[in-house]
Amino acid sequence: MRRLTLFAAVGLAALLGAGAAHAMQDLAQLRASGQAAEKADGYLTAVGSASAQVRSQIDAINIQRRAAYTQLATQRGATIEEAAAAAACQIFRTRIAQGNRYVLEDGVVRTHNSAEPVPLPAHCR
Amino acid sequence: MKQPNLTNEDRDASRRKMARTIGLGLLAGLAGAAAGCVQVTAPDRPIVINLNINIRQEVVVRLQDDARRLIQNNPEVF
Repeated sequence: MRRLTLFAAVGLAALLGAGAAHAMQDLAQLRASGQAAEKADGYLTAVGSASAQVRSQIDAINIQRRAAYTQLATQRGATIEEAAAAAACQIFRTRIAQGNRYVLEDGVVRTHNSAEPVPLPAHCR
Repeated sequence: MKQPNLTNEDRDASRRKMARTIGLGLLAGLAGAAAGCVQVTAPDRPIVINLNINIRQEVVVRLQDDARRLIQNNPEVF
């Protein structure tokens, strides 16, 4: 009976925990909510005061990106920065939708209004 | 041999010379100011500095196709 109570308590806590904070957001949700912005260097950044969970989610995505950039760089004889910069060009061209946020080299956070094209990082032109 | 005393004549002579030298200097200065100035006013457009000195443009261009495939194949990450 005690163990059952313990399980129930843990289970309840987990449910409450998941419900209280926002559920883990994926990349699409982070972009749509404006909590993550695409940077000109090919990585994501948190916008404004983001929760610890959002930051850790963004960190996890950036770690995966860096791994992919490293692999691409090794395959093509480029530096990791160059691979990341090349990816940034593609991300800026294809992944920034209406209301999504992005940050160019000037460090200013901008929100995309699809009436105008997204300005590309300087190294993309 | 003359005594090396300073006379009014000497004073006036050296003053005249001094005045001439200073006058010439001023004139030269004015001429320089009128001719080619060194501009100290800022240009109207902001100075753009690209700090990505480690990125080779031709490499970024070369990687575009690979980058496009990479992000298309990994929608959860890119």
